[in-house]
Amino acid sequence: MARLLMFYGRECPHCKKMHPLVDQLEKETPVRFERYEVWHDEKNADLMRSFKDAIAPKCGQQLRVPTFLNADAKDAMCGEVDFDKLKEWALKQG
Amino acid sequence: MTKRYWRCYVCNDIHYGVAPPEICPTCKVRQAYVEITSEEARKILAGGPEKALTPEGFRAAIEAFAGPNEFRVQPDKEKVDLLVSGVFENEKNHGLKYCPCRLRTKDWDEDLKLVCPCNFPAHETYRGLPGGECWCGLFVKKSD
Repeated sequence: MARLLMFYGRECPHCKKMHPLVDQLEKETPVRFERYEVWHDEKNADLMRSFKDAIAPKCGQQLRVPTFLNADAKDAMCGEVDFDKLKEWALKQG
Repeated sequence: MTKRYWRCYVCNDIHYGVAPPEICPTCKVRQAYVEITSEEARKILAGGPEKALTPEGFRAAIEAFAGPNEFRVQPDKEKVDLLVSGVFENEKNHGLKYCPCRLRTKDWDEDLKLVCPCNFPAHETYRGLPGGECWCGLFVKKSD
């Protein structure tokens, strides 16, 4: 199973919307996300920065949250999406 | 495009830009700006009266900023509350009012692009889209 990461910000409203969808996805499928808050934890922020080359091309050339990342395949999706899109992205990561 | 510091010789307004304003926006004197060093600019600004911007003051500032433009502040108050708290948390912890929905790269020039309000009209989430928003959603395009 791919290593999936979710980068989020504590005061980001889009991230706040995505948490319950990630919870639901984890309940319904074997998918699991490691979740990292990046504005109040510099270690997490550095972890996200270390994936800049994979994230930026998919996120307007920036580091934005929420970002969903397959750390193995270096595939990323960012922004607030609906449940079906999140599920589709996560399941295709294998 | 190198920005420099300029001082109005009449009222001591400080300008940071490629060229000085032709008319000083404060005292209205023409051709009043002389180039100064960053050190002088910092001293003049640091010596002035303390002007803390509270979250309420920031809200008023962004409302005034949006007013004449084609966008407005997000009508969802809960969202605005969360974003403004994030902007102030980031200023306290990281020095500037960085967008809570992006992340600093640690490159000073790059990270200036994340200071709220950012240049969101140029972004793909706003430009050319009916109902476009800045990335975090603090500003939304006014409907026709």
